[in-house]
Amino acid sequence: MYEEPYKWVEAVGNRRQYLDEQFKQGSPVVALAYDAGILLVSVSKGTPKLYEIYDRLALGGMGHPADLEKLRFNLLEMAHVEGFNRSPSDVTGGRMVKYGIAPVIKQAFEEVFKAPFIVKLLLAELGHKAGKDSFLVINYDGTFEEGSSCAVLAASKSVEQGMVAYVRREAPAVPSLEQAFSLALRTWALGDRLQRKAAEESSEGNPAAGTPEDTEAMSLFAHLRDRVAEKTVECALLDRHLSGSSKYRALASDEIGRLLPKDPKITLS
Amino acid sequence: MQGDFFQLLKEQGYQLGAPVAASAGIEIPTATTILAFKYRDGVLVAGDRRATAGNMVMYDRTDKVLEIDRHSVMAIAGVPATAYEMVRILEHSFKYYRRTQLQELSFEGKLRAVSKLLKENVAAALSGTGAVAPIFAGYDVEQEAAKIYFYDILGAEFEGVEYAVSGSGSPTIRGILHYLNTWGEQPLNAMPEEQAVIHALRLLTSAAEFDSATGGVNREANLYPVIKLIAAGGVGAVPEATLKSLFETKVVRHV
Repeated sequence: MYEEPYKWVEAVGNRRQYLDEQFKQGSPVVALAYDAGILLVSVSKGTPKLYEIYDRLALGGMGHPADLEKLRFNLLEMAHVEGFNRSPSDVTGGRMVKYGIAPVIKQAFEEVFKAPFIVKLLLAELGHKAGKDSFLVINYDGTFEEGSSCAVLAASKSVEQGMVAYVRREAPAVPSLEQAFSLALRTWALGDRLQRKAAEESSEGNPAAGTPEDTEAMSLFAHLRDRVAEKTVECALLDRHLSGSSKYRALASDEIGRLLPKDPKITLS
Repeated sequence: MQGDFFQLLKEQGYQLGAPVAASAGIEIPTATTILAFKYRDGVLVAGDRRATAGNMVMYDRTDKVLEIDRHSVMAIAGVPATAYEMVRILEHSFKYYRRTQLQELSFEGKLRAVSKLLKENVAAALSGTGAVAPIFAGYDVEQEAAKIYFYDILGAEFEGVEYAVSGSGSPTIRGILHYLNTWGEQPLNAMPEEQAVIHALRLLTSAAEFDSATGGVNREANLYPVIKLIAAGGVGAVPEATLKSLFETKVVRHV
């Protein structure tokens, strides 16, 4: 039945709809450059969403944990075999994505008889010098985009655009770790709120009323505080100043506690 | 087996040591003195810098004390081509394990990995082209203890409770280490860092005195041994300036 071109296009369209539905409740991921490297932040319930891939590569994911695991292993195998056979400097985010997993994800997406990967990925790569970092975002259909100072994952393109615009507007020229962490949390809260709003509107059949989004820091932190109960803030760094070849470091919960904004009203339980 | 990088390499057609017999007349670079002993805060690992092939000095700036990860070091004696390859495999294996399994490989697991590589290499070792007898030393973070292990070329693993030596110059200093540890002013494992470094310099200088394949200190060329210290905080190399000043004041005897 899918041999007719029209049917195939229709099937892929259905698949897109199905996948969009799967990400509605997902937790966004934010990655941005700070003065000593790259910071990745997400809020998770149980399964972690931020991972170390190689010496200078970190992964953030959204979607089904089993699919995320499968692609994470693909990336790890590829990166380590490449790093051993050639050299660690040849393991770059661009190569891992373009010749590695993007084609795999695209193929799974278009083979309409098989299950697609329910996953969106963010690959952050620490440059050897400040300003040389790179960020890659891969969508569930295998399309990817490259950025240079920040990247986000969220339920839909429009939410992602809202989050990136917020980062661009609010980010200091060279944020410190503390500033970047606070900005990443606010961006996460904004993304999460936009997602929930979009989900409510679509279920009520009430299209976006066009009310301007409240991006006051206090209101975003209040939203974060409401949403983070029973969940954990997850934060990982690619730290240029770390000794040794591996630059990835996951922050422990007490470190995260210290980095949280000092205002007593916005302490997270 | 989950998280096994070496297995992954082999699946891709990789082979560590090919058993090729060394043809007569070809000199393969070998020879060394490496040593490790426990001192007050952790473990010290040191090695000379010379690589030789028969009577020929191939290179005088070899680094034979190689950092595998933040808490372990492998000092190599034997055929450098194979030894460096093993170090590269181990380095990738430990990282691969940590990144896939989301936890560090245990110290015992690391020891097994070294042993497995040496066993894989037996054919090449016996044919004369790939014999390696390393020392693996590190700080076991779980048990909060420094540990030293040494291996023969077949992959047998021995624990060096106080110290371990390997390489052509090692017989000379093995006796000195025993003497120092038993009748010295204090046992090796009570020595503070500076004292331990001074003894390492003296031991390697003694080895170079009696073994032509071990390189001594060459002050004109600013050439000092590699000495690394592993404690709870991780691996650190003793800077050249420190080695230089300790050598000048505590090792050289002006007659």
